[in-house]
Amino acid sequence: MYRYDEFDERFVRERVAQFRGQVERRIDGSLSEDEFKPLRLKNGLYLQLHAYMLRIAVPYGTLNSRQLRQLAHIAETYDKGYGHFTTRQNLQFNWPKLKDVPDILGLLADVEMHCIQTSGNCIRNVTSDQFAGVAADEVEDPRPTAELIRQWSSLHPEFVWLPRKFKIAVTGASHDRAAIKVHDIGLKLKRDAAGAVGYEVIVGGGLGRTPMIGKVIREFLPKDELLAYLEAVMRVYNSEGRRDNKFKARVKILVHETGEEEFRARVEEEYARLDGPTINAPDEEVRRIAAYFAPPAYATLPETSAVLDAARAADPALDRFVAQNGFAHKQPGYIALTIALKEIGAVPGDMSAAQMRAFADLAETYSFDEFRVTHSQNLVLPHVRKDDVPAVFAALKAAGLASANAGLITDIIACPGLDYCALATAKSIPIAQAIAKTFADEKRQAAIGELPIKISGCINACGHHHVGAIGILGLEKGGRENYQITVGGDASEHAALGERLGPGIDAEDVPAAIEAIVETYLAEREGGESFIETVRRAGIEPFKAGFASFLDDRAPASEAAE
Amino acid sequence: MAKDHRAGSKVRGDKLPAILMASHLIEGDTVFLGKAGWTRDPSAARIAHDAETAAAMEAEGKAAAAANAVIDPYLVPVDLSEAGLPIARHFRDAMRQKGPSVHPDMGKQAEFAPLE
Amino acid sequence: MTLITEDGAAEDRFTRADTLEAALAAEGPVLVPLPVAADYLAKRPGAETGISVPGATSIDEIRPHLAAAALVAVEFPGFSDGRGFSLARKIRREGFAGTLRASGPLIADQFADALACGFTEVELPETMANRQPVQQWLAAKETMSVHYQTGYGTEPSILQQRLTARKGATR
Ligand code: SF4
Repeated sequence: MYRYDEFDERFVRERVAQFRGQVERRIDGSLSEDEFKPLRLKNGLYLQLHAYMLRIAVPYGTLNSRQLRQLAHIAETYDKGYGHFTTRQNLQFNWPKLKDVPDILGLLADVEMHCIQTSGNCIRNVTSDQFAGVAADEVEDPRPTAELIRQWSSLHPEFVWLPRKFKIAVTGASHDRAAIKVHDIGLKLKRDAAGAVGYEVIVGGGLGRTPMIGKVIREFLPKDELLAYLEAVMRVYNSEGRRDNKFKARVKILVHETGEEEFRARVEEEYARLDGPTINAPDEEVRRIAAYFAPPAYATLPETSAVLDAARAADPALDRFVAQNGFAHKQPGYIALTIALKEIGAVPGDMSAAQMRAFADLAETYSFDEFRVTHSQNLVLPHVRKDDVPAVFAALKAAGLASANAGLITDIIACPGLDYCALATAKSIPIAQAIAKTFADEKRQAAIGELPIKISGCINACGHHHVGAIGILGLEKGGRENYQITVGGDASEHAALGERLGPGIDAEDVPAAIEAIVETYLAEREGGESFIETVRRAGIEPFKAGFASFLDDRAPASEAAE
Repeated sequence: MAKDHRAGSKVRGDKLPAILMASHLIEGDTVFLGKAGWTRDPSAARIAHDAETAAAMEAEGKAAAAANAVIDPYLVPVDLSEAGLPIARHFRDAMRQKGPSVHPDMGKQAEFAPLE
Repeated sequence: MTLITEDGAAEDRFTRADTLEAALAAEGPVLVPLPVAADYLAKRPGAETGISVPGATSIDEIRPHLAAAALVAVEFPGFSDGRGFSLARKIRREGFAGTLRASGPLIADQFADALACGFTEVELPETMANRQPVQQWLAAKETMSVHYQTGYGTEPSILQQRLTARKGATR
């Protein structure tokens, strides 16, 4: 993984000192709250319902054991002993005090981490495929690109005061695990006819209040032109993006209102005017960064592991875990393992300091000292020897991290919602917990198969409900929490937005409604279809009908109760 | 999470009685305007029963914000419990009086007697 | 109004005049809104003139006036409206070598970025200047000594510095 050189080190240290000064100037009144707020947001510090919240950047979701141990230390020293992994591959602490934040930033800098631009109207932390460098369907590893963008976007003098937040995702694989079509900019590494590597550039996707699928603005951008082209897109957006209405300020609205053709023309016009070669990263620099992501020193191993096969045959729990949470590694004899932070009844994405330490040991011993954070609020050990899987599984079990439910109906994404978030209109985590309990039975989960449920506690859609195969959106209606359910969303290369099934329902009714939707799927399913494949083939109507009869059946009961 | 703190919750009908709630600038936790100064204990919040008191409390909150002591002070409509304690009418404000529902071991609920 | 340059507080030599009449009546160099600029320069050819433009203005509207302007003041409606930063870049790209002023309620923390985008000075409302005295601006400007982006500011970017170091090492 990437390591800081003297420049990166100096940059991050100076940023810590800068923030320390900003906090001091806030406390002495030089900065008003209105002025300080965007400054602290640009360094990941929010004010939530009960406390400040600090969001730490995990660039493209890659961490090592030393970093995780430091996070455990911070959690115990300055927070309440846990952290929360988010849907954008970051980590949040929910209870820091303003006066401690500069010290926390210093501890982060000690392990080459920071909070730069994890919030605010600027270019946010770049996200990527959690299986980068692992997946066999990869044109090229997306992480060097993501790291280059991380550096280029950090404290960019021109693009720190954008109309609204700006999120970039990169993938190098044909199966899109980075949701590039629902980002402000999505980059997909590809080859042209001559075999040269470059990017497909997608602009104007996004979720939130007005969900949209991004448009391909450039079919093929030569790899060495990346930064200049990004600068052109950003300049058009910074100059022309709407600032009169924050709900219309994202680049997706600019692309939509300007029209795809016209937007492309404006970007190309700006691109033609700027001096590309002086902006782009020199080839030496691109190669310098890429060298950090060279494959680790794999052992030469046979594809299959007799040790693992025998252990799986002897232990059904291990067998289930590998079948469900294993991901094929391109290197023979290795496997990537998803660690689902989704124990039944737990808070999705939460990890205690003790778990962090245990997991850091595993990454260090068994995965070349590296692990990943996924946008499903899970972790990945990317390079595990198949022979080592039984030992890893045993250690995970001891740490309460061995849930064999990756991708299943209980592997639910949920934003913090009303339990923490100052913008929430409804709770989100308790809904996830209730659904997980309803479907706790492992056989039942296995029979249902892959079914990503995503829950947001308000229209801002941090839980990505629009792209959940089942999406749940918590709203406030008549002074009560009310939940809208959508079906058919998909964040992959088949990107689609979910469609609403009917009127919103009460929190208590959500688990039963999900059961009704699952029943419809099981009745409609043909062959080995997954939930989303059934929706794609059969359409939304059967699900609407199923939901309607669920509402009918439920109505007399709740009337009687009133 | 999208943006940041948003003060105030929509409550229909009567806005009284009310208490004044804010966030402490340096610590970030929820504070209430008490009988004398700010308090962290939800049951020690001063209760405004009439518009005049409410306005005076609001002014006190604004002054404290201007003096860089608290952030986002706002009046919170409450109902009174049998013991006369203020219980926020909006579920969001009630969450701030207690702490996260998923962590009964954290926040006000862990430090203070329940509002009953 | 307080004027701050890289070197500290400075005196404003320009008088703001919103109408042609006011501009013609004023003594010394004037700062006029863009729509008044052409008429003023027609009456006072060669006069040292400043042109004031909102941050949202298109460079196409500004371009024809740049040759005759000694100063361009980009107006920021609020500190968080970043359009002025991009406009400054576009104005400099046109070859404008005069004074480029950022005018409005900016905060000290933006000073370094403003300079890096091509501004030479900031004109601040008095209320802001009282809370954030000039020393804070000069200090804020120095907090970050390195930057990644090539083409901003006068110092070489981190990417350029790495390249230089590498070439030095291989020589
Ligand atoms: S979706 Fe809404 S409630 Fe959930 S974290 Fe984002 S802003 Fe908060």
